[in-house]
Amino acid sequence: MLLQFIANGIVNGAIFAILALGFGLVYNTTHTFHIAYAAIYTTAAYCCYTLYRIAGLPLLISILGGLISGVILGCIIELLVYRPLVKRDAPLSVALISSIGVYIIVINIIALIYGNETKILIPGIQKTYQLGSVILTQIQVIELIIGIVVCIAYSLLLRTTNFGKLIRALADNPNLLSAFGVDIYHLRLQVFALSSLLASIAACLVALDVGIDPYVGMPAMLISAVSMIVGGVGIFVSPALGGLLLGIIQSLAIWKISARWQDLVTFAILIIFLLLRPQGIMGRRRRLEEL
Amino acid sequence: MNYLLHLFIMISIYSILAMSINIITGYAGLLSLAHAAFYGIGAYTTTLMMIKLGINFFPALICGIIVTGLLSLAIGYPSLKLKGDYFVLTTIGFQIIIFSILYNWISLTRGPYGIPGIPRPSLLGHEVSSLPEYFVFSLIIALVVFIFVRLLANSPFSRALRAMRDDELAASAMGKDVFRLKICSIMVGSSLAAIAGALYATYVTYIDPTSFTLDESIFILTLLLVGGSGNLRGPIVGAIFMVLLPEALRFIGLPDTIAPNVRQIIYGLLLIILMRYRPQGLAGEYRFE
Repeated sequence: MLLQFIANGIVNGAIFAILALGFGLVYNTTHTFHIAYAAIYTTAAYCCYTLYRIAGLPLLISILGGLISGVILGCIIELLVYRPLVKRDAPLSVALISSIGVYIIVINIIALIYGNETKILIPGIQKTYQLGSVILTQIQVIELIIGIVVCIAYSLLLRTTNFGKLIRALADNPNLLSAFGVDIYHLRLQVFALSSLLASIAACLVALDVGIDPYVGMPAMLISAVSMIVGGVGIFVSPALGGLLLGIIQSLAIWKISARWQDLVTFAILIIFLLLRPQGIMGRRRRLEEL
Repeated sequence: MNYLLHLFIMISIYSILAMSINIITGYAGLLSLAHAAFYGIGAYTTTLMMIKLGINFFPALICGIIVTGLLSLAIGYPSLKLKGDYFVLTTIGFQIIIFSILYNWISLTRGPYGIPGIPRPSLLGHEVSSLPEYFVFSLIIALVVFIFVRLLANSPFSRALRAMRDDELAASAMGKDVFRLKICSIMVGSSLAAIAGALYATYVTYIDPTSFTLDESIFILTLLLVGGSGNLRGPIVGAIFMVLLPEALRFIGLPDTIAPNVRQIIYGLLLIILMRYRPQGLAGEYRFE
């Protein structure tokens, strides 16, 4: 039983890792607490659902459609909501409140169109694979593989490409970067697009696994924010570690306590980390002015 | 007439909530998304005291205020040692933890079934049961809270809070204990929210956890942001505006099936437009700079 729960935890952790990477990307570069991330997640999942179940398109094309819709929404949010605030040099709390506004609008439009009930993408029982005493469904195996691939691809992107160098520079000092002639607004747009892509990948996978309702985005966003803090703020790959850890702890909590207390466990971990190790697992201790 | 009285009672309750979050967000500059949790703790503690122990409204209310104030330390302490966004995230976390406790601790709170049959408050042996009486009662309580907040707003405590909000470093250089100021503002603000919770519970005479969700917290924050924060007028203007807005929508003939969603969409739009063009709200002073 223990192995089975750890395996489930790792699969969930892989998804949390993708989500947390996307959230951490935006937070580390633009310092925006991107609550609308939840709206992007939900939109991508619903778009995938619409194309697959209502329009009857093949699954892969539907997923692609879901990813594209998420990226487009992410870019629209940056262009229409965040960019004017950045240009006015508005404080970050203003961006955060606007982000809440975007989240409310998108979620309620989705609820108006599709209703509040849970939608299932793949009905029926899925094919399972057995490995020793651990049983995983087909979609869980796919989640795990994609999770690993995304994490590796993302860290390669950051370390080896010019784009990776630019976004690390953006995180360090946007003013200096623009003095070097880089269009930081364009770069910000790319950051939001990439982060939305990560959210959409996770959203489509989860939608295929357990289905969707309009309110799945908020817990996903909160988990990615907690994963980012647990992993360590300011480092681009650490949210993945936090996500994995959170997935495993949550799964063990379901086993030992009850699924009902899952949210409580997530935030208990957050509070423990804030009290005992606020810089996260991988973070180094920094002075207050640096934060 | 009853309908109008109902609206006035709701405005009193939401005015108390807006005034209380104003202390945390408007005066101390801390963005809180846990206000519905404090509201809920106040409502549940008062209710449980009245039903399980059979004590009167006012002692029960005082217990509610104390419990809420103490629990508010649980978010203040871990998050305020750090800067900015951690506080927002911790308040969201606290909100979700409290909801989860109210929903799942069935032996104490009856969870999703809610608690029915909450007695109305009684004053000197007379039960405040009819709607006009309850209206007067809620108005008096709201006035007491208003006077308290007014005294607070003119006190050195409030000046220290505003100084800290505008420039934390300067305030601590002047010898103000910034950490203690923040903790105090959260304790005072959340304790006042408990009063609104107790009023709500004894007015509706039924509570369940769905009245105290994250959405409600966002709504309370919206009340304050629409009205404007950092002064005494703003929260009241916000509460009146936001309670009357859905009623206005009802009069233009929006079907009931889509009304809740449309209302939420309008709140979202309001937040974005306000933040872009008028960050101080309709009648506020503080601009989140």
